[in-house]
Amino acid sequence: MMGMPSSGRRVFLRSACKHCLGMGALLPGLPALAQEGAAAAGATSSPLPAERFVRPALETDEGGLWGMMDREEARLRRSPFVVRDSQLSKYLQDLVCRLAGDHCPDIRVHVVRTPLFNATMAPNGMMQVWTGLLLRAENEAQLAAILGHEIGHYLERHTLERLRDMRSRAAFAQFMGLFGVVGAIGQLGALAGAFAFSREHETRADRLGMRLMKRAGYDGQQAAQVWDNLLGELKVTGGQDAGKRSPMMATHPPVETRRDDLLKLAGDASGSTGTAEYQQAMSQYRFGWLQDEIRRGQFEESLVLFNRLLARNAQDSQALYARGEVYRLRAGKEDLQESLNDLTRVTALEQPPAEAFRALGLVQKQRTDGASAVQAFEKYLAVAPEAADAGLIKNYIAELKP
Amino acid sequence: MKKILIVLLLAFLSGCMSITKVEGDQVVNSRMAVKVTDAWNKVSPPGTKQPFDMWTQEGLTLDHLRLWAAIKPGQALLIRPVGNVPIGQKAPRVPTYESGMQLDQLVNLFEIMYSADGSIVNMTKVEPAVFAGEKGVRFEFAVTRKSDDVQLNGVGWVSQRKGELFAATFIAPKLSFFPRLLPKAESIVRTAQIRG
Repeated sequence: MMGMPSSGRRVFLRSACKHCLGMGALLPGLPALAQEGAAAAGATSSPLPAERFVRPALETDEGGLWGMMDREEARLRRSPFVVRDSQLSKYLQDLVCRLAGDHCPDIRVHVVRTPLFNATMAPNGMMQVWTGLLLRAENEAQLAAILGHEIGHYLERHTLERLRDMRSRAAFAQFMGLFGVVGAIGQLGALAGAFAFSREHETRADRLGMRLMKRAGYDGQQAAQVWDNLLGELKVTGGQDAGKRSPMMATHPPVETRRDDLLKLAGDASGSTGTAEYQQAMSQYRFGWLQDEIRRGQFEESLVLFNRLLARNAQDSQALYARGEVYRLRAGKEDLQESLNDLTRVTALEQPPAEAFRALGLVQKQRTDGASAVQAFEKYLAVAPEAADAGLIKNYIAELKP
Repeated sequence: MKKILIVLLLAFLSGCMSITKVEGDQVVNSRMAVKVTDAWNKVSPPGTKQPFDMWTQEGLTLDHLRLWAAIKPGQALLIRPVGNVPIGQKAPRVPTYESGMQLDQLVNLFEIMYSADGSIVNMTKVEPAVFAGEKGVRFEFAVTRKSDDVQLNGVGWVSQRKGELFAATFIAPKLSFFPRLLPKAESIVRTAQIRG
């Protein structure tokens, strides 16, 4: 097909469905968008192409791209990383349908269990939403902003344009170099470096995404909020200048400017945030996603996230446990006390997670408060007698009991 | 011309993964002795030297036995290859041993290590055990590998002596390979003895 080495082509096609992190919505060209103003963003006329896409002929480059993406999607369907839950899938598919209108039947949403902020859209209609994004979004409007942006890339066939552009500029190898960092996903900033759509494409996807979310009745200002939230985490590795220095933002205006421009584009705060609906839809999975976040071992980024969750709801027992656990694991100078504070609070709440008693016991053990540790461990084992580490905890109890 | 080609060939080979056969008495990092009854392949990837020995029976994509010896406080359990950190960014955290760590914290280091590439790791059993002659912990875990979706099982052992960490982990696809190769790994781990 396109004159690329076959292995390189294969790698590209695999990555073509990955290369847009929703965060790109903040990046480029927002001043231009701002000039168009909120009126354009909130236009009532449909921003969608009237006709649904038909499968391109196989002998064309677009047809080849679709075919490869179909095979990738078949592989994805078998992947153990896909969250197979009809309720969650229906919730997301319904949201996509509200955004994409008549194009809804062509878009298939796959939830992928990976604790990073990412959503992607392939030209054949395969959309991937990572669980790290679902954990970080605060409401339906924020998720709609990201998915609307991805749908914007899809409706305007940006992946195809990009593929053609790369071929003509022989930039393929350089582009693939960006994807080398994707494998090491311990860090948000590293993943963010893998963005690859052009500034113009991001601008257009932003504009279309905003129109889609507002047309669906959401508060457009949430589009700015979601990126502002993520910037807090990026600053952990990128410093206070993360908005200027991170690989994805280096050639663009400061993020604060972009956020302001996005707010102008959004207009007033009319529209729904869908907070209650979103929290209800995610409630069944959220604790597992928090545990995945803890296992990343990037404690400072996780603390930014958990602090944000707790600023929103100080009684959020899952987030309180998660923060206490991260403090315990980081074990810095003041961390043990911070951990003790959080875990003491969460275990006093109604229905705390069993893991909170485990963590509290471990903290008390480190503080050489044997009696309190035993008490917490016994509560843990009472709630989770089949826990994987029951043998170790019983051993701790035996050591600590006089 | 011939000399240049030889130099180029040597330079090329020096960038390749080196594989050597290991059997009999072996010493890891000059501090932990093990007896190897079945021959294993010791693999040394090019570039950054990792703080562990890595051995395999069937190849690294299928199985590996990693052995750590005399890891000091403040020392990481693995070293991230140079070049993976974008310019202007701080490197991500890597699991790092600290003195006075509890057994559960030691296990957590390995949980994070195997999760670092986006793989899903679930601890399935954690219990006290003796490793290398010291009281420690043995842990079993399941891994769903991000890079190829393969489901693996793993087992690890870790203990401390005089503020140094000693550990071993073995991992292989849960179908066929893990049950077949685990006894070989365990037979090595059982012989581990700390020197000095």
